[in-house]
Amino acid sequence: MKRVNILSVCGSGTVTSSMVAGKLKEYLNDKGYHVETVEARPTEAMNLAQSGKFDLLTFTSPLPQGDYGIPVINAFACLTGMGEDEFLEEVTKVIEGLGK
Amino acid sequence: MDLDLIALNVEAEDPKSVIRELGTRMLAKNYVKDTYIDAVLERESKLPTGLDLGEFCVAIPHTNTEHVNISNFAIGILKNPVEFHSMSEPTKTLKIGLVFLLAVKDPASQVGLLGNLMKIFQNVDLMKNIRHATTKQEVDDLLDFIQI
Repeated sequence: MKRVNILSVCGSGTVTSSMVAGKLKEYLNDKGYHVETVEARPTEAMNLAQSGKFDLLTFTSPLPQGDYGIPVINAFACLTGMGEDEFLEEVTKVIEGLGK
Repeated sequence: MDLDLIALNVEAEDPKSVIRELGTRMLAKNYVKDTYIDAVLERESKLPTGLDLGEFCVAIPHTNTEHVNISNFAIGILKNPVEFHSMSEPTKTLKIGLVFLLAVKDPASQVGLLGNLMKIFQNVDLMKNIRHATTKQEVDDLLDFIQI
């Protein structure tokens, strides 16, 4: 099974990042991916993103500016449901682009 | 759900008083620690939790897991809306008439609860029905699919 590692960032690194992570796991498992997620706070995001362990980053709290070195995707749509399909399509496109 | 965690007709001037009102209910039942309310207030001031759902806005104040004893959530239905700042655009304010105060102990083991809460927030009709509920039982009936 194809493995994907996602860094999910929110304000406290717990509640909304876990909501997004749960949603992504459910969606991507159905597409045949094995998804590992790590939830983090915005202040931890840069170091984790640059660790080389993650394929992409999703966020529901404003992120500090900078070069994260991996695709960074806004996941607010996942919380509100508005634009959720587009969010999931964007994630899928990024993952397919990873060549996995 | 625990009916003591439903507050109807809350008269609040600002987000702080709503969070205190609901947090006090959580604390009285020992779902949260005595550090919880201040921690939620602190977080809300830095990282606000208003969500704009298009036709409806809701706020989901919460804080770190270490302030929580047992996962649960409290619902506040406000008499008059108050202004919360937006999670996605913190400089923007949203008029909020319905507040879900969340206490999450261990997110990894509560995927079901978090997923159900997401389903609620994404269901504008359900949110409106909760907003206009006049009894605690009515709120409970609307949410009876949730397992905590």
